[in-house]
Amino acid sequence: MKLSDVGIRVYVAFFILLVYTPIILMIVLSTNTSGRISFPYEGFTTKWYDAKPSGFEYGSYISAYYDWAFWIAFQNTVYVAFAAAMMTTIIVTTVAMTLRHRIFGRNALFYIILLGFLVPGVALGLGNNILFRMMNWQFTWWIAAMLDTVYAVPFGLILMMARFDPDLMLYERAASVLRASPFSVFRRVTLPLIKWEVVSAAIFGFVLAWGELIRTNFVARGTGVISTYISTQLAINPITPKWYAVGTIITGISIIALVFMGWVLSRGQK
Amino acid sequence: MAQGPVPSPAKKTSGFRVGGYSSYLLLVPGLTIATIFMILPLAIMTVVSFYTTAPSSTGYLEIFTTKNYIDFFTAPNTPTLLVNTFSLALIAAGICFAFGFPLAYFLTFRIKNATFKNYVITLLIVPFLIDASIRTVAWIAILGKDGIVNYALMSIGAIHSPLTALLFSRNTLYIIWLQTYIVFMEFPIYLAMNRIDPDLIWAAKVLKAPPHRVLYDIVFKLSLPGIICGFVFVFVSTLGDYVTPNLWAGGVQTLGLSVSRYSDNFLWPYASVLSTMLLIISVIVLFISFKVVDIRKLVYE
Amino acid sequence: MSGSFGQNTWSMLTLKVLECKNLTKWYGKEVLALNEVSFDVDEGDFFVIIGPSGCGKSTLLKVIAGLLDYNSGELFIKGSDVKQIPPHKRDISMMLENYALFPHMSVFNNISFGLKMLGKDRSTFDKDVKDSLRLVGMEGYENRSPLELSGGQRQRVALARALVVNPAVLLLDEPLSHVDYRLQRKLMEELKLLHQRLGTTFILTTHVQEHGLSLAETLMVMNTGVIEQIGKPDEIYTRPQTVFAARFVGDINLFSGEVSGRQGGVYVVKTALGDLKVAAAAGKDYTGHKLAYGVRPEAIVVGEEALKCENHVQAKGINSYYFGNTVECVFEMAGGVTMKATMAPEVAPTLMRGGAVLGWSARDSMLIEKPSVIEGLNIEEVIYGK
Repeated sequence: MKLSDVGIRVYVAFFILLVYTPIILMIVLSTNTSGRISFPYEGFTTKWYDAKPSGFEYGSYISAYYDWAFWIAFQNTVYVAFAAAMMTTIIVTTVAMTLRHRIFGRNALFYIILLGFLVPGVALGLGNNILFRMMNWQFTWWIAAMLDTVYAVPFGLILMMARFDPDLMLYERAASVLRASPFSVFRRVTLPLIKWEVVSAAIFGFVLAWGELIRTNFVARGTGVISTYISTQLAINPITPKWYAVGTIITGISIIALVFMGWVLSRGQK
Repeated sequence: MAQGPVPSPAKKTSGFRVGGYSSYLLLVPGLTIATIFMILPLAIMTVVSFYTTAPSSTGYLEIFTTKNYIDFFTAPNTPTLLVNTFSLALIAAGICFAFGFPLAYFLTFRIKNATFKNYVITLLIVPFLIDASIRTVAWIAILGKDGIVNYALMSIGAIHSPLTALLFSRNTLYIIWLQTYIVFMEFPIYLAMNRIDPDLIWAAKVLKAPPHRVLYDIVFKLSLPGIICGFVFVFVSTLGDYVTPNLWAGGVQTLGLSVSRYSDNFLWPYASVLSTMLLIISVIVLFISFKVVDIRKLVYE
Repeated sequence: MSGSFGQNTWSMLTLKVLECKNLTKWYGKEVLALNEVSFDVDEGDFFVIIGPSGCGKSTLLKVIAGLLDYNSGELFIKGSDVKQIPPHKRDISMMLENYALFPHMSVFNNISFGLKMLGKDRSTFDKDVKDSLRLVGMEGYENRSPLELSGGQRQRVALARALVVNPAVLLLDEPLSHVDYRLQRKLMEELKLLHQRLGTTFILTTHVQEHGLSLAETLMVMNTGVIEQIGKPDEIYTRPQTVFAARFVGDINLFSGEVSGRQGGVYVVKTALGDLKVAAAAGKDYTGHKLAYGVRPEAIVVGEEALKCENHVQAKGINSYYFGNTVECVFEMAGGVTMKATMAPEVAPTLMRGGAVLGWSARDSMLIEKPSVIEGLNIEEVIYGK
């Protein structure tokens, strides 16, 4: 017993190390004075974050703060992320509400929603690209948001349904027996009970939008959103610690949002 | 769910209905989005795969042909392509399982404090949500010529010139995919394990089962739905991931990669063919596994 | 601690299959589940542990099985210290309160699980499983799934499963609790028969006093982590050592009182009902002590006979409850004190509202010194509630 206890802790620790080392290294190396992207570590500097450009640098050598393209992409990503968060919340909530009842087509619905993240990203990306060209529809940020939503909804849904209080339906029934209209039942009975899960769904949608590349690549080429911006830049420019700085900023945002979600979820568990 | 003398909760029939067809009304946003951005694109894509490639404005002519498919099935590199894609995904799923199962076990049975549990779960999700490119760049710092591994190995004198094979090989892919998709394996297994009645483990112990048998006969077998789910999720996700092989695979070609290459060159019909093949493989795998395992059990009840 | 020489000789004479010495178990830092629990179980005994919910009987069973660890004390099974021995190496078997049948295995595989774990030859499984199914009256159910069975059927399978490995000790955690009344009686009979047939030591817990009394060869009354009394059921019933034990094994009328003197073989006790008499036992003299005076409802007679008894009081009938074979009547005396008496229906006074005389002998009464084994309790508070 004791040995297996130790064994599994070592294993988990090793795993966390494996997964987090790149992230930690990235954060550490983003302050490296040397322009190389690996060791040795020469000195601490924040130049990759905020050094004023002298006018001759390009791409990878402009510090994060002064990289206008980066900030434009950042701004776009924020739009997309918020849109995705909003859409995810709405869809997850509405679908979760209806999935509890035994309506016709319940299973089909569930599988369709699930397809959102089970379908290979390439296929969805390509399909959407073709569709929009064919219909001559505009490639706006909303599309990227939609793709992210389609991807995030299954997660949010499973999370919400796994955390549903089994008595919820009883409460709702009691309320409706007491002559409450469906809408106010939702507002006063259901919503307070699931609000934390709803918030988590939103956060999930938000965070997902930042890192999603596979599908977004097909609808937001070039410097559009952060993920595509970085991948295109890296393809044409040399890799420098500036990208670590960029990565640190983005990861930082994701981590903060996720820690927040963790807190929200633990509130919801009470 | 505990079995035995505890009666199951009152049957949850349709219970509270929002009133007639209102339930369906609620589904409008979800279904619209799903149709426009998922079903329609996939359908169109399949259709396009049957169009002829031509130097027109759209890159194809709307003339039905099976040439693309024939080309695909007769192309010399197709078998390698398929084998590569398949094996990569399979091994990636296997590796994720090797790490995901103990992780889920740890989460379920070894952490009692609920708040701590939540934070560990969050901790595990973070790597998944890191931007794909950043993640890959960060790995260069570890596996690259001047990366930490080489640095460490050289400074203790184990090797004299940096290993270049660490990067740009299939193994890199596995490590990166492990970091990215472990969540997909982790959570279904965790959900399944969580539902195991702890009394069952006690019963097994008292019935003379040594710890490794308890693990296998009870924990493993009862979390099998979660395991299969997780396996399938990782498999399907790695199948369609072209970003990672793009940067790292060196010479390894995968289906997803080919799709992106052909799209970059506006060769839509052929790209659609590849993509459709990918889709079909995924759907078949999903279909089979969902017949075997009822994922709804993990979620509905 | 009793003299070690005497203890060891005695242990050698009557085989003790289980010995607990000062077992203490904490849940976290605040909940003390077992408080220096010490007792022994003889081989082949039908040992029943009764107590209210939360008194620690389930915990005790799990500690014996090895499913839970204990903080201090010693535990010996068949003479060996089992502190380091995990549950799968102890010669015990257990039937859990909610049966815990493996849902992913058939009845056959459930029952043969233990045999498989013990590494027995597969070819013997068939016979052993069939035998144990026959023992519990479930022949023919080998290939069913546990999910198809009713509660009572599941329980039998769980029992068969626990017995098939031939343990030295069988632990049963509240086997009668989730079963309806008629099935309870049937089950009790079957358990008793099984015990006689197999000779295995049974240790059973329940919170229902009747089950405890009728099943036990040795009875142990527990109260929040401590043992109130151990002994034969009739001993505990007629000579309870604490108020708690007296109350738990059956209905009893209790009054606090002070022993004012001794007359012949009888104590005179001053109570709210006046001076009552109780037979004095040899040994300690209780004169001047404050204790509890008790008399069981069935020892009380009503009417003419009552006047002939050593103790009698005037009372007014308030209520009666008809149970078919007996009637329980509640009477009120001067000062608002109530008493319960049970009697045969024919004898029960038809006129409840009128006055009646209640009487009982000194020999049928009991004097109880301690409110409970737990220190620091006020006997009056325990009798009358705070």
